[in-house]
Amino acid sequence: METDKILGLFKTVTSAAVIEIAIVITVAVAIIWLSQRLLPWLADHLHGKQRLFVLAMIPTLRVVVFILAALWIVPMVIETTVQNMVAILGAAGLAIGFALKDYVSSLIAGIVAVYELPYRPGDWIEVDGTYGEVKHIGMRAVEMVTPDDTVVFVPHLKLWNSLIHNANNGGPSLMVVTDFYLAANHDAHQVKQLLEDVALTSPYVQLKQPIVVIILEKPWGTHYRLKAYPIDPRQQFQFMTDLTARGKACLRALNIEFANLSPEHAVQVTP
Amino acid sequence: MSQDNHWQIIKLAEFERPSAPASTRIEQLVQHLRNLFPSSEQGTEESEAKDFPGYRDFDLAPAADALDEAWQEWLASDGTGVKFLVSPPFSGTAAISRAWAERHQLPVLQAPEAELFAGVDIEAWWQPQAAPVWVIDHLADYWQRQTNGLAFIRALLPKLMRGELGKGIVVCDSWSFAFLQRAWPVHLPQVYCFSAATEALLQQVGIQAPSKQLRALAARAMGNVGLALALWAVTQDDAKDLPAMPADCGDASAFVLYALLLHNGLSGAALQSVLPTLAADQLDVQLLQLQQADLVECNQGKWEVTVYGYLAARDFLNSRGYFMDAF
Repeated sequence: METDKILGLFKTVTSAAVIEIAIVITVAVAIIWLSQRLLPWLADHLHGKQRLFVLAMIPTLRVVVFILAALWIVPMVIETTVQNMVAILGAAGLAIGFALKDYVSSLIAGIVAVYELPYRPGDWIEVDGTYGEVKHIGMRAVEMVTPDDTVVFVPHLKLWNSLIHNANNGGPSLMVVTDFYLAANHDAHQVKQLLEDVALTSPYVQLKQPIVVIILEKPWGTHYRLKAYPIDPRQQFQFMTDLTARGKACLRALNIEFANLSPEHAVQVTP
Repeated sequence: MSQDNHWQIIKLAEFERPSAPASTRIEQLVQHLRNLFPSSEQGTEESEAKDFPGYRDFDLAPAADALDEAWQEWLASDGTGVKFLVSPPFSGTAAISRAWAERHQLPVLQAPEAELFAGVDIEAWWQPQAAPVWVIDHLADYWQRQTNGLAFIRALLPKLMRGELGKGIVVCDSWSFAFLQRAWPVHLPQVYCFSAATEALLQQVGIQAPSKQLRALAARAMGNVGLALALWAVTQDDAKDLPAMPADCGDASAFVLYALLLHNGLSGAALQSVLPTLAADQLDVQLLQLQQADLVECNQGKWEVTVYGYLAARDFLNSRGYFMDAF
């Protein structure tokens, strides 16, 4: 009796239906496969907003294709009555609850990530202390590459209970903060103006965005934070290098002394 | 102004690019795609591409008449202060201003030596050539994009605005002007430019073509007469096409093109000083590569973007999100 009930959930699958299902799956896989190769290639030729838009289309397109394929296939296999769906979802829920909780949680978080957009390909994010560029958003995990070229896989599960720091949030604007530590005895206005000009004259700087210098007085000297935006988020480290190198050269030219290490930063040399 | 003169001075804020017909938009899209997906075969066409048709000058007198029409009264008055005339690259505005200065026997001020850019000693530059009325034909020559290259212009601009140096016309390249507005963000009330080239103006400068073609040309040249003449010269030769960006152009190429447009051309040494982030050999490679693609050229020791390569360079910088001029 029980076997009959279970079998009653499913339709009789003919050979034509099997072929149709195979074709739908093949086409869906082909579209996803192609989108994951063509769109990144296209994005490599674009810059700024256009590049990020194309990259963001990849996970969205995959979810759309996946849902359409499911909507196509499920009614061919299952009698879609309310009773049947409740029975199937109940059984699936039981299996998920016991065996595949984390995996399915990551899959669902992956779908949430597609519409909530905490990260998109091309974004620079930090999760649990790891900073890098999102390269690929998979079904279960997001793949990011750190500045040291290490690939880190972060399960979408992190979305539920971790802080996701997104530095550019889908746009080309990513603030770079460059620190300068100077001895306290100098003209702060002169240094502020100088550092602003250092950023203004950098070939990497995005002139559409503001340039700001923040000054913090510390027991060991003065801490300057030069905040500016590179034209492309991928240039952030070259930009910071350029600002640091030219900033130091200009400060040296003005005979401004750099700060000595604070006591808490000093390295204790043991004999 | 006579009925036959179609040159006109307008406020910069009133400038509008000529609307592009569908065919021109498609052409611009094709050019944009060529820049995005450069062909690796471009290098093989080098010898042919070198032979671009001559970029013809036009009669400056009618344009100087337009300056008279707009500013004759102001010129005759007793007041002081300056009027800025913003000039898109290759538009010939600097040459027009020099012709106008010659007509009124006004001195064209010499730009300071690069050593003066770091200081604020305006008097040392001004006194040897002081005049009640004058013309500055290239404000881009008064500063450089480096930390010690902005002090002079920052000291000069307020003096000009306050009329401390008498009365004059300041011609500023559009890219330079956009940057200076960012570096010295003060609203300038007296900023003018020539209105966009129309079908009638293109006919006036000697381009004879059907009306539809002239409209398309004006749109493609973004209303820039000099650029329109160059594009027209290329159009006349079926064997030639405009240069496109080389396949391996990257950040360094963008830095070089932007620096050259910003300063309306620079010597090799000056280019190196505004781009210290590029090593000398790296800079040489970039210049050579862009020169081979006919995007830049060296005239009397000064590297400049070519008139034929301007559209490709502009599109390349725009697609990368660079801060563009107002045209």
